[in-house]
Amino acid sequence: MQKSNRKIWIAVAVLAVIAVIFGAVYMFAGPKAEKGSKNCTLEVVDDKGEVTTYEASTDAEYLREFMNELAESEDFSYEGEEGDYGVYITSVNGLVADYETNGAYWSIYVNGEYGQNSAELQPVADGDTYRLAYETSSEQ
Amino acid sequence: MRRQVSSKTSWKARDIVVIGVMTATLEAAKTALAVLPNIELVTFLLIIYALAFGKKAYVAAFAFVGVECLVWGMNIWVINYLYVWPLLVFVTLAVNRRGCWSAWAYAVVGGAFGLGFGALCSIPYLFIGGPVMMASWWVAGIPFDLIHGVSNFVLCLVLFKPVLGIVEKCRSAS
Repeated sequence: MQKSNRKIWIAVAVLAVIAVIFGAVYMFAGPKAEKGSKNCTLEVVDDKGEVTTYEASTDAEYLREFMNELAESEDFSYEGEEGDYGVYITSVNGLVADYETNGAYWSIYVNGEYGQNSAELQPVADGDTYRLAYETSSEQ
Repeated sequence: MRRQVSSKTSWKARDIVVIGVMTATLEAAKTALAVLPNIELVTFLLIIYALAFGKKAYVAAFAFVGVECLVWGMNIWVINYLYVWPLLVFVTLAVNRRGCWSAWAYAVVGGAFGLGFGALCSIPYLFIGGPVMMASWWVAGIPFDLIHGVSNFVLCLVLFKPVLGIVEKCRSAS
């Protein structure tokens, strides 16, 4: 019984150490946010390929904060569902991307490259251009 | 002395109902906590169901994935779900095979599963975009995995005894 308890405590300790290592990996290799004022651009590409551009100065550290600021100050809106890894954008400027109907979804691009982070975790950097693009799975 | 989860599984017609109830409660638990990112009861319930119903929990895990597909449509996470949830059942049964019924032990299983969830789900990205894409996808989600691991650990620790007791009562009464 004693031996079994010891094993469990060792497992708890190992789990805690792994959590700390994960945190360290994130601090070292994770996306880094910049503090202070930045000038950024957000482009929205709709289902017809038309681009609406928003340029703004912001103190936001992450893309979602920048989007929230634009939603307050500009003619920009978005909606989303909270997913396992951040918000899953379902509509931008009233245009709904319904994956179940036609395989449509909203993609995030950062300076022309396909984004690796959700809007919550995408750091905002000075001079960056973010693009929210309406795409369908058939385009891939 | 607690019973050991049987390694042999006998299937009866009433198991259809039992698996249906397991699947429904998994889906209800997922939906109820959907507003809280990465705080979920599916991990905890699958651990409990594996301990109470043995290998039948595999069927409930796959049925849960089927229901999720019906609700949310097909996407890459379906591939993830098809191996992560059965893996959890497998690990739970493997731990139990050593005669373990400690809430702490299953809290560790749940916590480890939550911490490793992102790493497990990043595997398909190895084939889609290579190791760099897989690693960057995993690293970007680490904060969510930490929340997932800690919340799983706490939920399992707090709910294990009372909920397992109730589920065991239901199982023996059925």
